[in-house]
Amino acid sequence: MRKKSMLLVLSAMLAFVLVLSACSDQSGSNNNQPSPSADSGSASEKPSEAPPANEEPTEITIMLPLNIAETPPDTIKTELEKLTNTKLTYQFFPADTYEEKLNASFATGSLPQVTYLKNQATFIKFKEAIRDGQFWEIGPYLSEFENLGKLKESILNNTKVDGKIYSLYIGRPLARQGLIYRKDWADNLGLSAPQTTEDLFAMAKAFTEDDPDKDGQDNTVGLTDRNDLIYGAFKTLSSAFGTPNNWGEKDGQLLPEFMFPEYIETMDYMKRLRDAGYMNKDFAATSKTDQVNMFQSGEAGLYIGSMQDVNSLYNNLVKNVPTAEVATHNKITKPGGEFGIWAIPGYNNVVLFPKSAIKTEDELKKVLAFFDKMMTPEVANLMYWGIEGTHYTVVDGKAKEMDDKDKIEREVKGFKDSVIGEPETNGQYTGYHELQARIDAEKFIIENEPVAIHDPTAPLDSATYTEKGQELQKIITDATYQYIYGDIDKAGFEKAIEDWKSRGGQKIIDEYTAAYKANQ
Amino acid sequence: MQEARAEVLELIPPKPRRHSELKKRIWKNKLLYLMALPGILFFILFKYVPMYGLVISLQDFKPYQGIRGSEWVGLEHFKRLFTEPDFLMILTNTLVLFGMNLLFFFPIPIILALMLNEVRIAVFKRTVQTLVYIPHFMSWVIIVSISYVMLTMDGGIINELIAYFGGEKINFLLSSEWFRPMYILQVIWREAGWGTIIYLAAIAAIDPGLYEAARIDGAGRFRQIWHITLPAIRSVIIVLLILKIGDVLELGFEHVYLLLNSMNRGVGEIIDTYVYTAGLQQGQFSYSTAIGFFKSFIGLILVMAANWLAKRMGEDGVY
Repeated sequence: MRKKSMLLVLSAMLAFVLVLSACSDQSGSNNNQPSPSADSGSASEKPSEAPPANEEPTEITIMLPLNIAETPPDTIKTELEKLTNTKLTYQFFPADTYEEKLNASFATGSLPQVTYLKNQATFIKFKEAIRDGQFWEIGPYLSEFENLGKLKESILNNTKVDGKIYSLYIGRPLARQGLIYRKDWADNLGLSAPQTTEDLFAMAKAFTEDDPDKDGQDNTVGLTDRNDLIYGAFKTLSSAFGTPNNWGEKDGQLLPEFMFPEYIETMDYMKRLRDAGYMNKDFAATSKTDQVNMFQSGEAGLYIGSMQDVNSLYNNLVKNVPTAEVATHNKITKPGGEFGIWAIPGYNNVVLFPKSAIKTEDELKKVLAFFDKMMTPEVANLMYWGIEGTHYTVVDGKAKEMDDKDKIEREVKGFKDSVIGEPETNGQYTGYHELQARIDAEKFIIENEPVAIHDPTAPLDSATYTEKGQELQKIITDATYQYIYGDIDKAGFEKAIEDWKSRGGQKIIDEYTAAYKANQ
Repeated sequence: MQEARAEVLELIPPKPRRHSELKKRIWKNKLLYLMALPGILFFILFKYVPMYGLVISLQDFKPYQGIRGSEWVGLEHFKRLFTEPDFLMILTNTLVLFGMNLLFFFPIPIILALMLNEVRIAVFKRTVQTLVYIPHFMSWVIIVSISYVMLTMDGGIINELIAYFGGEKINFLLSSEWFRPMYILQVIWREAGWGTIIYLAAIAAIDPGLYEAARIDGAGRFRQIWHITLPAIRSVIIVLLILKIGDVLELGFEHVYLLLNSMNRGVGEIIDTYVYTAGLQQGQFSYSTAIGFFKSFIGLILVMAANWLAKRMGEDGVY
């Protein structure tokens, strides 16, 4: 009977998801494993009952998002199995529709032993289920493993749910945001790297109006941005104006960033840039591809976002403009301001271990042992960089990628995003770079750490936020764009804040403030 | 005589024998039923069984508790939907887009089919027919991307043309005024050609003798269209209209979702996109099911109304 109802739910879900999203048919890419429904039946019959002899490989099924179009071949997987004495089944699903896949698998109880989420936002959504006891609490076991014990305490803290650790994290540098600009243009115009937001404005203006490419045509623009207030230019600029990261303390309570005057200043700044035409006017409808194209075609000269994007930006730019030079820069402040840069909570994704698939403590320990091995340099390098000599070589103790980027992307990328920890903890090589702008960028990223502005709510909880925080955020996102585009004025923006408050925002403020005080 | 008797017999089926009668009839037409079987199975499996899932709209559905374990909350989610501040906006947007679809898009394939039918050069006719089909095979992503490239203010060809002739650049992509026209034009662009197929087939079935007779009576082209072609395809038009109304709220999730942005959400958010962003992306299954339920309900009412109207007008309707 249980099985039958499961089937019903599954078919209902499937039909539902298909009808509504209509774009999830890529999930067929997991061609080398049985369908989730077949999986759910067999999950309980996995060989956990009889502990195999030491030499017998552990069977582990892993579900994770895939950021490229095709499922990677088994090149890395085969090596990985040898190194870790496991038999792995990787279930890759396209990142774009991964959340739906997660939800559907979860609903049908068919999550595999190792379940990667997609990002922090997904993690927040899963907290309710975590509290309900659907996933193993792994905190107490971590110290039993040599390498897992090395994971950074401060970041693990950010992933705690009600003070307990349920997940391993995939580490990322705290703050990668900064400016990438056309060095040759700046040199042509006699401009130095911008120190303040006003310098930056002047640079955008000069790049637009003063013919920086010296071809006598009015065919350039300053900044290229996209429809993303966080990873696009907006949030990084807001740090320059001193806006808190998502939430900030004011008069003893936590308030969202958009209730701070610095946020308004940032909007005014963006509005000035756009009104004057020093950036792409349609940025609110521009995809990352189009944004990047504007830079790579030699049309735009400023890019604000992850400084690590500089390699691909530069490589594609010189195909179009062979004489182009780029540089990276950070530490931009408002005139007289202090430098700070918003930071992520140190991870970009987590791994969970569903109780529905891992039945016993023994089995859990075996799975954790796999992750323990993943945190050795040998395994971490294999998964992050590939096979030495095939995908990368070691230069000065750093990994240098081979020239065949397509091959690396095809064979390694799928695994790269699933390595837990970070170079300091798992011992993987850091990257070797030849491009000066990238070397600078890596330096800036390290320099960003001490001045990083943290999100005070990262370790906190708000039930209302979990339930509808993102939906409410849409009100603010829309209002922010409308303000920048001049559709609404300051009063209109304040009305949007009131709207946000009355529809649950005030509750979020209260809940976060209470949690914040309790935490201190 | 025999027929009449059979009819009478059928009208008064003796009760106890009815069951075996049915069996007999099924057995008699077993091949027909066999042929229908895959279709019946399809509907049962993929249309009826999933309806069971609708019960989660009355629950506070938690995936890990399943349908049996989840708490029943009655009409809570419907209440939330109807009291949602954006509800009226979303409903209005949906109905307006639907109305525009019916008003501006629906007649286009008919007109196009009539025009194609009048073309006498076969090669030209077929070429045009094929050309107008093609957009149908492009996904919305492509259609929307092409529109983006043409309409953007940052070097889009249409805005460049406007600027060249001294006009002011128009913010097509990020304004609430242009969202609806853009939507409907894209629908026409993609689907108009495809929509002609059924009409052309219906026109092809018209007895050429009728036209001959009309010509002999001195009817011109327009009179022939008005008095022969249109009446002949009238029932096809009505059936398609009813079906179209049944799809009232299928405005193309993908299409609208791709066009949506912060500046046009006020006119562009429809039930489908709302279900996706508020419901599925946030994992609020019960709430999104409730919205979907509500949407189907409107669709049902409209189909029944349209069918009733069609029957009143002396047509067959769809059931």
